[in-house]
Amino acid sequence: MRLKQGSFLWYLYLDKLYCLLSVRNVRALLEYFHLLDVHHNNTLNDVLFYHFLHHVTSWKRTQIMIVFNMLDWNAMGEIGFDQFYMLVCILLAQQNHLEEQFIFRHSRPVFELLDLDGELRIGPDNFHMYNFLFNIKKQDLKELYHDFDITGDRRLNYKEFKLFTIFTMDKYQERQKAEKDEEKGKKDLLKKKRLHQVNVSLKQFLGINVSESRI
Amino acid sequence: MEEKPYKASLGSHGSDISSPDNDIRNLWTRATLSQPNLNVPRSRVGEDSDMEGSSSGTKSRRWYNQKARRDSDGGWEEWDDGEDKESFRQEDLDEPSLLELELRRAGSLRSRLEEEEDLGAGLGALGHLSLLLPLQLPLPLMELMENEALEILTKALRSYRSGIGRDHFLTKQLHGCIEGLKRRRSKRLNILGH
Repeated sequence: MRLKQGSFLWYLYLDKLYCLLSVRNVRALLEYFHLLDVHHNNTLNDVLFYHFLHHVTSWKRTQIMIVFNMLDWNAMGEIGFDQFYMLVCILLAQQNHLEEQFIFRHSRPVFELLDLDGELRIGPDNFHMYNFLFNIKKQDLKELYHDFDITGDRRLNYKEFKLFTIFTMDKYQERQKAEKDEEKGKKDLLKKKRLHQVNVSLKQFLGINVSESRI
Repeated sequence: MEEKPYKASLGSHGSDISSPDNDIRNLWTRATLSQPNLNVPRSRVGEDSDMEGSSSGTKSRRWYNQKARRDSDGGWEEWDDGEDKESFRQEDLDEPSLLELELRRAGSLRSRLEEEEDLGAGLGALGHLSLLLPLQLPLPLMELMENEALEILTKALRSYRSGIGRDHFLTKQLHGCIEGLKRRRSKRLNILGH
């Protein structure tokens, strides 16, 4: 999923550490929400919500309605600003490839969102349904249930899910570090090549001068 | 619009957009982010007031208030990892001068705004936010928001008409909002034209 370039959400900035918006950004988002809240209920109904997401994301109708049903946890048929804010943070986290960070930082709300039935446990179906939202890969899902299903009921309670988020976060940080080291390695290599070239050209220059002076 | 002494980065957005409007939007959305040592009196910074979260039983409010408490506990946490610095090229500019620039601009924009919306009524759980943070959004940002809202609502109107009919009060209410937005936009364009 990519946010539409140049849209209002595209300009918002998600704090990379806490995966939240600043108060200033929230203030702007609140203003935006009020522009869409045409019925002055401090909510968006399903039609307005659909058109909003359809305009700013590349999601299909089914995906948008899945998100709506997920956020409409009171089953009111409307989304308030709290849920809207959470959705925007999820969208921005996805846009900035911060899904792991987001799940780690907000494991409780994410768990509660995935726990559709309120059983305090989430099964693989829950993850599959929201795969497009949190970008959890199939392989990671297999590992998740293999390594973290401590109770063995093929579902995760909150503690098991929290362990998973910590593990995923560690992997993410290791990946970041590896990418950084690789980049640094490339830069060092480039530096060495340039130094070598400079040395060669210097030697050539000096070599020519020495031969000229002999003559 | 004033020229920026540096090119504001969109950070993780990828491509750099160099137009002044976009730079100002970036400046506005990212200014004062992660600035733990900012020593500006509250009276000068109308927008950066601490937020008191309301307590309630809902999960979303708990989550949102956790963020608010973090804000009130000490503002922005210091970032200890260097990897984030590359997305914060605004550190090229001194933090106090960045804020000063923004406050000056906000002040001049405020004086140009003709009307303020009535935000006091019916705002729900986060109503206090608009009271603590007066409306000081930059005009380019407002324009962007309104134009986008107009596009979204125009498409929604078609769905309303096909779903519940033209004469339904909700359709009329939506239509009225769209007309209001169009009037504001044309008013703004007239002002800019003069």
